Amino acid sequence: MTSDPDRPPQDVLHGETRPGDDARREQTDAPPVVLLVEDDGLLLMEAADTLAEAGFTVLEAPHADQALKVLESRSDVEVLMTDVDMPLGSMNGFALARLVSRRWPRIPVLVVSGMGSPGPHDMPPGARFIPKPYAPSALVRTLHATVRRAA
Amino acid sequence: MVVHDTDPDPRAGPPAGGELARQRALRDEIARLRALLREARQASPAETPPPARTRPDWEVRLATAEELNARLQASEAFTARLLAASRDAIQVLTLDGTVQWRCEDGRATTADQSGTGTPWATSWATSWPDPTDRVAADLALAAARAGRTGRFRAASGPAEAPRWWDVVVSAIQGADGTPERLLAVSRDVTEAYRAEEQQALLMQEMAHRVKNTLALVQAVAAQTLRSATSLEAATEAFNGRLMALADAHDVLIRGAWAEADLAAVVAGAMAPHLDGVPDRCTATGPAVALGPRAVLTLSLMVHELATNAAKYGALSSPAGRVAIAWEVVGGPRAVLHLRWRESGGPLVAPPARGGFGSRLIERSLVHSFGGRVALLFPPEGAVMELEAPLAALQDGTA
Repeated sequence: MTSDPDRPPQDVLHGETRPGDDARREQTDAPPVVLLVEDDGLLLMEAADTLAEAGFTVLEAPHADQALKVLESRSDVEVLMTDVDMPLGSMNGFALARLVSRRWPRIPVLVVSGMGSPGPHDMPPGARFIPKPYAPSALVRTLHATVRRAA
Repeated sequence: MVVHDTDPDPRAGPPAGGELARQRALRDEIARLRALLREARQASPAETPPPARTRPDWEVRLATAEELNARLQASEAFTARLLAASRDAIQVLTLDGTVQWRCEDGRATTADQSGTGTPWATSWATSWPDPTDRVAADLALAAARAGRTGRFRAASGPAEAPRWWDVVVSAIQGADGTPERLLAVSRDVTEAYRAEEQQALLMQEMAHRVKNTLALVQAVAAQTLRSATSLEAATEAFNGRLMALADAHDVLIRGAWAEADLAAVVAGAMAPHLDGVPDRCTATGPAVALGPRAVLTLSLMVHELATNAAKYGALSSPAGRVAIAWEVVGGPRAVLHLRWRESGGPLVAPPARGGFGSRLIERSLVHSFGGRVALLFPPEGAVMELEAPLAALQDGTA
């Protein structure tokens, strides 16, 4: 829109457009795949840019239902990072986190929200909560550590 | 408060039973004195009147008793009116905490002496439904027994519509100055409690919104820096975007953060770019209520379009015009169609790459609202056409 030179094209994939990319995981040096679930386009854009620059392959979903479709269609997702309030989907981020930790127990879950702190039964066991706003470098460190632990 | 059974004797009004007993005792005493006087008169024939000092003595004692009775009745009538005027629930308890006397809705009742005929004449502390409140009640009783004032707040009544009480327990001292009984006065503070609850909820909601807004500003700042050619350009672009968000907040605040009209959103976002020349921009369309998220996103989108138009497009020349028009199509699954069309400006060439503005427009709208957007650059002026499901645009969360 503006004629300001844009930054280089992002290594951002849209989950719904790239099914069945399982071979990626076989390569040991393949970038870790993170599924970002965030309803706000601007926040998602920024988080995706941050994580892509930090070496992640980023899949995106605007709500829980789309996130589940992505998880069902590809097996290379290594970590899920989800917002809580997502009006378009059929469930919020907590419910998605609990569902994912039951159905895909090997995928670690990060919940991100502007709400103070989660309630006692909101989070599945082992999931991490990151309050918004977060320092991008801290998010990257947390995600790397999470992926390493799960590996 | 406190007592959830039915009143055993709805006719029992003031004065209290204890006072009635005292009145009866006084009446008996007066009757006894009269009888004594009568006997004395019969025993002493007229020709031998009683000694001069005896008769006035009987008279004085009778007069005093009658006056005392009258005073007591007046005092009790006043006490009854006092209790009737009170809006508090008042209870008198034994030192072990059993209800002896109570006054609710201005009606006082005394427990049956045996206690069996008065269902509410039981342990006062255990009459509170919540276990935590019962502990607080016990502590208040202990404080009152020790001569201090016990105070707590507790709920009673049906769980779906409880009443809240501010309870004060103190000792009623006997003649020797030691606690003889306990007084529990409960004031209905349900309305104040609801107001506090509401305020706490609002504070929590506000904290959530502030955090979300900070996250949004953080994303705008980071995205601005990512695509900026210089620090000066970044500063200018960031300030413009921050102002656009501030204007969008003004529009939202006017709608109590619940909704805002699309026309107000467009007018708010365009105002800073029109240099006070109103006919440079037309905005036409029906009234459409938007939710907070859509207001913030659309405000930023319009701001980006207008900034671009002011730099390179229709708003960069005096003859240039921007026409913004929208309509709502369809019934239950209505879709908002909005078109931005520039004309009269310099010839347009498509930008080499999409910057923050075009990324925001394409990704935000498509991603956040499940809509579609087309950004075109025909030579006569930039065009943006968007469509998005109205339901998504009207969602109430920010």
